[in-house]
Amino acid sequence: MTDAGDLVIPIKADVDVVTARQRARVLVSGLRFSTSEQTLIATAISEVARNIVTFAGSGEIVLRIVQRGPRQGLLVIARDQGPGIADIARAMEDGYSTSRSLGLGLPGSKRLMDEFELASELGKGTEVTMTKWER
Amino acid sequence: MRASILKQSKFLIASVQGSMTDADLVQLREDLGAGVRRHRSTGVIVDVAMLDVMDSFAVRTLRGIAQMVKLLGAECIVVGIQPDVAFSMVQLGLTLEGTTTALDLEDGLSTLRERIGAEGNPL
Amino acid sequence: MNPRGSSPSGEISEQELVRRKDFLEFGDADVSNLAEINELAQRYADAVIEDFYKHLLSFEETRSYFHDPHVLQRVKNAQQEYFLRLTQGKYDLAYVEDRLSIGAIHERIDLPMKSYLGMYNFYLRAVSNRLSEAYQDQPERGRVTFLSLMKLTFLDIGLAIDTYINSRERTIREQQEAIQELPTPVLPFREGMLLVPIIGLIDTQRARLLTEQLLGAVRDNRAKVVVMDITGVQAIDSRVANHMVQTVEAARLMGAIVIVAGVSPEIAQTMVTLGIDLGRMTTVGDLQSGIERAEEILGYTVTRTRSKTSAGQ
Repeated sequence: MTDAGDLVIPIKADVDVVTARQRARVLVSGLRFSTSEQTLIATAISEVARNIVTFAGSGEIVLRIVQRGPRQGLLVIARDQGPGIADIARAMEDGYSTSRSLGLGLPGSKRLMDEFELASELGKGTEVTMTKWER
Repeated sequence: MRASILKQSKFLIASVQGSMTDADLVQLREDLGAGVRRHRSTGVIVDVAMLDVMDSFAVRTLRGIAQMVKLLGAECIVVGIQPDVAFSMVQLGLTLEGTTTALDLEDGLSTLRERIGAEGNPL
Repeated sequence: MNPRGSSPSGEISEQELVRRKDFLEFGDADVSNLAEINELAQRYADAVIEDFYKHLLSFEETRSYFHDPHVLQRVKNAQQEYFLRLTQGKYDLAYVEDRLSIGAIHERIDLPMKSYLGMYNFYLRAVSNRLSEAYQDQPERGRVTFLSLMKLTFLDIGLAIDTYINSRERTIREQQEAIQELPTPVLPFREGMLLVPIIGLIDTQRARLLTEQLLGAVRDNRAKVVVMDITGVQAIDSRVANHMVQTVEAARLMGAIVIVAGVSPEIAQTMVTLGIDLGRMTTVGDLQSGIERAEEILGYTVTRTRSKTSAGQ
């Protein structure tokens, strides 16, 4: 589901990974995020965008500014129509070391953001939704 | 955009540009391997000060570069990781375990000299 | 859409107002009941207000809030308007805005909620008596009208409480921001060395801020060693321990070694229990050892050139 004010970045190759996080940086520059938090956001986006390229070949990153009471935040949706994740539990296992996980960087991205949701269906695709709020 | 690799007597200094693609990073690894062999370098410094984000791919590649350089008989030091980037890396659980790090090029060179000797010739 | 400004109506939207009225079962019948007693209200407004403030001023606790005659007069006038608005028949967002402002006035003079509620109580009783008098021939109508007034008053109390809460939350938020802005001391100690004394409770927020400042200081001071002194920390939990490990690792990525000094036996035990990888962290028992270790690493030798006894000469 895409809203009118969304920023949609098609992801087809690794150059798009860089584009996605650069566009995100620009988008959040108006929000009250420290430079450190901006880097966390850019890193999380880099991880999920990279997953799209590696596992699905193509997909998109949707960026949206959201509001909750007096605070604003950045909502990121990373979606693809790729093979899907067979074992979501394993993918989200927090081994604290990417070499032990499936290499998806998902537990790490979850730690970088405030809210994180993963939906995936074998053969249909994957959608990661994550949000970071101003403090 | 490719990385620039400078030679300073027996050392090689590679500066990673901020807008390097995955392919560029892989190319860098190859170029450094070739460079170490050609010049019989004893030390390599990889300067990542221009990287604003280090994600799992970048870290894996960097680790790979360090391992390869060491296998070729040279010391490898990664320098220039910015505070924000270091912070995100540990949040993400990405470590450069086993790789020597230093603050910047200056510190990296003095560390290399300590270990290898001023001109790069092994002590 | 919720505006980000500081208007008193904050998050009361049209739908929210409807929700509240529905919940109190305040409907058109109540609106007409209240409109009916509007004339009556105008007649006894002054008397009720006077009684009301006489009551307030007879108690030491509430009297103290109104000893300034200007404040007293202003509040009395506001109270009169308030009273008359109860029966003027239009209970929309403008009405809400008005109620919230009155709540704000009282909150600003720091009137405690219990006194505010006590005032409403006096109010309802004073009005009830007058209503009974006016409706003595139609006690049922009088009762029903009183219930309408009570519903509306509770709507008002809800709004007043919102004002108090919003204001408290705003204060808390401002204080938190002020705390965030407090600089965590990161002290350049010798060339290449930083000293970071940590005192008291560390929550996740502070820990994060501390790490950011520490790493920034490593860059700015070109530090090779950081002595993090936790002598002032009573106990650590797994979150704080995790933060410490993260700080150590992040500093290492920047080429600096972190020495955790002032580790008490209790904290040492906690670290063992939590399974913290002590191989990655250098810890020492007290600050002095920490500094000495740092100096060793940096290649300093400290020699004393004068004995203690010569200090006074």
